[in-house]
Amino acid sequence: MSEEMIHPRFSDHEERALATVLDQIIPPRSDGRLPGAGGLGLVRHIEQVVQQAPHLRPVIVQGLSALDKLARSRNPAGFVALSSQDKSELLSQLTASQQGFLPSLIFHTYVGYYQDARVVEALGLEARPPFPKGHEMEPNDLSLLDPVRQRPKLYRQG
Amino acid sequence: MSEEPVDVLIVGAGASGAAMAWSLAETRMKILCLEQGDWMDPAQYPSTSLDWETRQFGDFALSPNSRRRREDYPINDDDSPISVSNFNAVGGSTILYAAHFPRFHPADFKLRTLDGVADDWPIDYARLEPYYAQNDRMMGVSGLAGDPAYPPKQLPLPPLPLGKLGHTLARGFNKLGWHWWPSDSAIASQPYEGRAACINLGPCILGCAQGAKASTDVTYWPVAVRNGVELRTRCRVREITIDENGMADGVIYYDAEGMECRQKAEIVVLACNGVGTPRLLLNSRSKLFPDGLANRSSLVGRNLMFHPYAMVTGIFDEPLDGYKGPTGCCIMSQEFYETDPSRGFVRGYSFEMLRGMGPVSTALWGMSSGRIPWGADHHQAYGKVFNRTAGMVVICEDLPELHNRVTLDPELVDSDGIPAPKVSYRLSENSTRMLEHSVARGKEVLEASGAKMTSAEAPLPPAGWHLMGTARMGTDARSSVVNEWGRCHDVRNLFIIDGSIFVTAGAVNPTCTIQALTLYIADSIKKNLANLFD
Repeated sequence: MSEEMIHPRFSDHEERALATVLDQIIPPRSDGRLPGAGGLGLVRHIEQVVQQAPHLRPVIVQGLSALDKLARSRNPAGFVALSSQDKSELLSQLTASQQGFLPSLIFHTYVGYYQDARVVEALGLEARPPFPKGHEMEPNDLSLLDPVRQRPKLYRQG
Repeated sequence: MSEEPVDVLIVGAGASGAAMAWSLAETRMKILCLEQGDWMDPAQYPSTSLDWETRQFGDFALSPNSRRRREDYPINDDDSPISVSNFNAVGGSTILYAAHFPRFHPADFKLRTLDGVADDWPIDYARLEPYYAQNDRMMGVSGLAGDPAYPPKQLPLPPLPLGKLGHTLARGFNKLGWHWWPSDSAIASQPYEGRAACINLGPCILGCAQGAKASTDVTYWPVAVRNGVELRTRCRVREITIDENGMADGVIYYDAEGMECRQKAEIVVLACNGVGTPRLLLNSRSKLFPDGLANRSSLVGRNLMFHPYAMVTGIFDEPLDGYKGPTGCCIMSQEFYETDPSRGFVRGYSFEMLRGMGPVSTALWGMSSGRIPWGADHHQAYGKVFNRTAGMVVICEDLPELHNRVTLDPELVDSDGIPAPKVSYRLSENSTRMLEHSVARGKEVLEASGAKMTSAEAPLPPAGWHLMGTARMGTDARSSVVNEWGRCHDVRNLFIIDGSIFVTAGAVNPTCTIQALTLYIADSIKKNLANLFD
């Protein structure tokens, strides 16, 4: 049995809703240099997370469903059609009934977003692992120790 | 299955087991080490991949309960505000340690005499000093002579880079007139004994892909194996067996296939850390030792000491390049190390400056501290924090207390069915006061260094790196488990060399003291070989 049959993927509807939620968690940067988490394609990252931690799938699916239900009471077109402020309010409101939903999504969204090469570069860093290039550092200024060297011994004799 | 008997059987291939194997190898005795973990492959360490920060939550998590590698055993630490951090592999927890390498102070061996608390050690700094120096050479320690917080010492390598962050904080300490010094670090600042120099990767606590950090798989072990020591990996010891005279005669262990094996030995040495060693002793019950081996004092597992940690973080206006450089080794301060009764507690603590955080760690720290919200203000808040944090951990001295202990969990077992350890620990009033004092002073120095905002967490829950005191050393068999050179009072061919034998904890990382003690015990064994069991 394939992994997908054991743990089915999100439906198209769920994916659209999830991408919208992710864009609420980390919206696009105002200078236009970075998309939001949904626009960056982090739905795939969340999909991978739930493949590895299947207990998260119902938390997310139920959260999205509850969110949709809440949203339709405001707008029949559902969550994706709400204004940004309404989306934000509904997400906050949802934390009371779906306690694991938002904290889990925030955690995994932050992780996925800030290890993405496009984001790392936008922060001014090279998008590479630390090894093997490492980092250059400035030489030590040990003259800063001069006042410490002047002090008498600080330890007690045993 | 039964193996050929050996002269010396060492259980555990971490900091102390490696040093013991290396030291005893010159005797040409037949030496075998059993290690439940395996050799690590540095090419697979997190710093070789872009998701390096995330793996601290998976296969390189600090807690074995989260990590759940095949080599790990579970630890029930529900009854403790501090959870145990360790690693099981050739190299043991030195694979994940920060390699901060400060020695104990002379006064750390004389608490009863100097401060009227706990007990004195049966040995002192002067006895250990040559072994500290020998160990510094073997591990390749970087640092600077002349620190007024210590008796004179020479280190084989110059100090690691302080970086912009270290210089910034050093100026803050100077402004307050407080002590600071470049950290003694078991990280090669220059090429050393076949090891490459540090290239400032950052995540030392996720294994060192460069090989600059002195984990014992790259220091002691290659030499010990070359000198004839056999190191058998993926072998988990269940119990130590005894003969009719109450002497240890070997162990029963499970090999990589889960097969029960027996290994006979003339001398057994335990090097399993302050939780693993009492676990093994308590699992080794017999008619002669119904309460666990070498436990006639009832002290096996008791007096568990962690170092209660606090973490104090500051946010600065200027970029600090804190993601560069060895995570835990920058500068340290021992301004508040020695006892000052006016502070409201006995003993003291060290500050150890940390480097800053990478992109993911920044986001997650911001999430948990409330500094980086989700939603419309996210990017602005993130921009104020990323590359602008500097902080420190505080290492407080813990005092031994009988009720802080390691026992066997009645239900939890490892993958071989061996009962798992249970940790029961309470933070003392003294530690609580010390933590409060340290957090206030930590914020003060960060502000003096230019921090605009500060925050702190104390005690730091995952900071159970240092495991000490659970088979303490002493001259009286009624109040200690091992004698002044590591031999069990109750079993004269059984030695313990890990942090279990610490009488008190000091306020510094214990690895170099564990290894100095090991080299001293190994020398004592060599000197007393003719009448070792008398």
